[in-house]
Amino acid sequence: MVRGFGWAAAFPDEVWEHVFSFLAADADRNAVALVCRAWHRIERRSRRRVFVGNCYAVAPAAAVRRFPEVRAAAIKGKPHFADFNLVPTDWGGGAEAWVEAMAEGWPHLEELRLKRMVVSDDCLELIARSFKNFGVLSLVSCDGFSTAGLAAIAANCRSSPVHTSVGLEVAILVSVASEGVNELSLVYLLLSSADIPYLRNLRELDLHENEVEDNCLNWISHFPESFTSLVSLNIACLEGDVNTSVLECLISRCPNLKTLRLNHAMPLEKLVSLLQRAPQLVDVGTSKFSADHHPELFSKLESTFAGFKHLKSLSGIWEAGPTYLPAIYSVCESLTSLNLCYATIQSPELLKFVSRCKNLQRLWVMDLIEDNGLIAVAASCKLLQELRVFPSDPYGVAPPISLTEHGLVAISAGCLMLHSVLYFCRQMTNAALLTIANNRPNLTCFRLCIIEPHTPDYISQEPLDAGFSAIVESCKDLRRLSLSGLLTDRVFKSIGASANRLEMLSVAFAGDSDAGLHYILSGCKNLRKLEIRDCPFGDKALLDNASKLETMRSLWMSSCSVTLGACRQLALKMPRLNVEVIDERRGRPLESWPDDFPVEKLYIYRTVAGPRSDTPPCVWTV
Amino acid sequence: MSTTETGNSSTTESAVSGLDYEETQLTLAASGASRSELERKRGFSEGVDLSLETKDFLSGSSDEAPISGAGEPSAAKAQVVGWPPVRSFRRNVLKSCTYVKVAVDGTPYLRKVDLEAHAGYQQLLTALEEMFSCFTARNYPNERLVDPVNGTEYVPTYEDKDGDWMLIGDVPWKVRSSSNFTGNIKGFGSHVEAINKEELEGAISTIHGKHHSTENNLVECCDGCLSLHANGFVDEKLRSCRFSSKNTHRLHHCKVNWDPQHLQTMQS
Repeated sequence: MVRGFGWAAAFPDEVWEHVFSFLAADADRNAVALVCRAWHRIERRSRRRVFVGNCYAVAPAAAVRRFPEVRAAAIKGKPHFADFNLVPTDWGGGAEAWVEAMAEGWPHLEELRLKRMVVSDDCLELIARSFKNFGVLSLVSCDGFSTAGLAAIAANCRSSPVHTSVGLEVAILVSVASEGVNELSLVYLLLSSADIPYLRNLRELDLHENEVEDNCLNWISHFPESFTSLVSLNIACLEGDVNTSVLECLISRCPNLKTLRLNHAMPLEKLVSLLQRAPQLVDVGTSKFSADHHPELFSKLESTFAGFKHLKSLSGIWEAGPTYLPAIYSVCESLTSLNLCYATIQSPELLKFVSRCKNLQRLWVMDLIEDNGLIAVAASCKLLQELRVFPSDPYGVAPPISLTEHGLVAISAGCLMLHSVLYFCRQMTNAALLTIANNRPNLTCFRLCIIEPHTPDYISQEPLDAGFSAIVESCKDLRRLSLSGLLTDRVFKSIGASANRLEMLSVAFAGDSDAGLHYILSGCKNLRKLEIRDCPFGDKALLDNASKLETMRSLWMSSCSVTLGACRQLALKMPRLNVEVIDERRGRPLESWPDDFPVEKLYIYRTVAGPRSDTPPCVWTV
Repeated sequence: MSTTETGNSSTTESAVSGLDYEETQLTLAASGASRSELERKRGFSEGVDLSLETKDFLSGSSDEAPISGAGEPSAAKAQVVGWPPVRSFRRNVLKSCTYVKVAVDGTPYLRKVDLEAHAGYQQLLTALEEMFSCFTARNYPNERLVDPVNGTEYVPTYEDKDGDWMLIGDVPWKVRSSSNFTGNIKGFGSHVEAINKEELEGAISTIHGKHHSTENNLVECCDGCLSLHANGFVDEKLRSCRFSSKNTHRLHHCKVNWDPQHLQTMQS
């Protein structure tokens, strides 16, 4: 007991634990852990969920040791710009170290979510073998694995009796979908031994936008016949064909299935027969949505979708032609989430479809929707909260689409609940941004990408400083911002001064001088992630604000004006930062380069684990 | 005659920056009979406007006055790495299929090549020559492809959407992907099969994982569609190929238009 904190012992640990269980936010639990030793001990033993925003910020063994009772872990690896090929493929973010530590220290782990990590098939096999009660595996933007690894996961799924590990073996039926239950449990009891293999009840397998090598044709057939616990299956990112009949069997025997997202390989007829078996689905991702017109197929599709009484979320619809889209009008009214961002449907059909979706809260769509389409959305979808408009032709080879700032302005005016925007377009004005800012002060996420770098206000030819300044000044709760277009240091002054809740900022081709970076780093008190490319920001701002970097998760700078000397100074000054210089061009070691050597890519992150041991040849920890 | 376009090559060069798609529409028909002879006689280096290649595609930089909304010169602009910030996953999935089949007269099998992977005609032709190097020999002095057996010269041609045989090189490289050039086949000689855009899939796909070893250089796709790869070619290209491919269902169409004679050669 610590003197002066005797009150902590006034209640037994279990009471405090119960109190802490109401604290959902990690930040709150972290705060609690700092109050006194007793609370630190109680909190750490009772923490069930861990989020590691940077896999290199802490050593896996340390995390596992500190929180021994974790049931759910989420870990992120590569920096965000890895999505755009700016990070070398061998940079790191491997999951083995974490999976091995977790297999060792968290045998009761139930949920694992990895984002932007390199996950090997061996990792997947280890996951399959190590966790008794594994329920959720989510891999987002990962790579390094193949369908053979998925087969290993599938093969280890069981829905059957679980034995307690202490002496007495009691058969507990978790979920069995057949008759003869008592006989079954007896059989398991008889066959039980101390050495029973770990059994799992996989509920959720979520593969989102991963690069998966396809080398195991029928991995789905590795799910045993007894496996019936599936609630959510997302295989949209898989390239290859999936055996439809095996999938049909799987779906038929999983009565709790709510989410099913298929990949584009499946032909429409097979999709229809598959979906017919699961009218209880809440979230559907279709495969390709085009085929030659067949009236029977059309009516089958129509009746299948009409059978979805609970459908809330629709995605997929790859390569949709106008032919089959009308067949699914019946679900529009109930949809709250619609993801058409891979659907190359033209504006008239899109308009007809989307304007029926009166209850839409989230809409992801291609710029093929055009301004007219967005105006219609603004009129029909009054509950819209999140809009993402993706470019159908980012490299501008095809004739231009008529999607301009007008579409976004219309949405901002018509959709009062809009708080999150991602918008790719080719032109913008300060006036439009001002209007948006005034219309929607409740924006929390504003990501605007004007495709051509350095594009000014196309009417006044001014930089877009005024427009973005209006956004940060008006939207007091803005947490995420991405800038584009022609911008000077002025916009950074506004951001530094006004964006008090900003947590993530992405900057490209902007600013005039170091002052820009200085404004950001000396302001933005809640900034966690800063990523910058192709801006004239250099050493001075970085060194002047060195201590700020320890309050942030990470900083990425590429094609800026930072020199190696500044990195060295920074690393010296801030021992709890890893300053990684990434250079794929040269072969000579870092030590031999002079101080004025320009750094091509720089990734700085706070860590308690010290420099990492798995840096590839192109990365140097200064 | 397809040769009329060659006469315009100097105007097409200047037309790259003020791109006029109508001008580069290749729509004239030529009489079938005279085609192959004509192409045989013309030297390749005359056909390709090599000065187009020196219009360095990196020269389109952000120094140019930003064009808003028009998007026309961006066809000739550089592609800055990682910009616009479109996820590589999305980019690969939506990538318009730019694989074309290539046949060389008298060779037992065809190849597929990704137009996107090459920066210009010269690079493409070098790649094609490498692919078919076992059958043809480069005649270095005048840089023409010559068949070692009978000494006939090869020229690269393709069939455009109107079914006309065109000599490679007239259309500026960057324009080709937006206009009628896609969906057509490039070929050496006149023996090329017409495959429409629907059938241009990422050919070399490991969708069914049947990688045959590189010793016999065959990769079998679904339903017996066969495609070829050479050592090293698959591993590098396969990734881009896989991501630009649509689905195996479409590969069925591939098979339909394959020359049965070729198919038999491969199966044997």
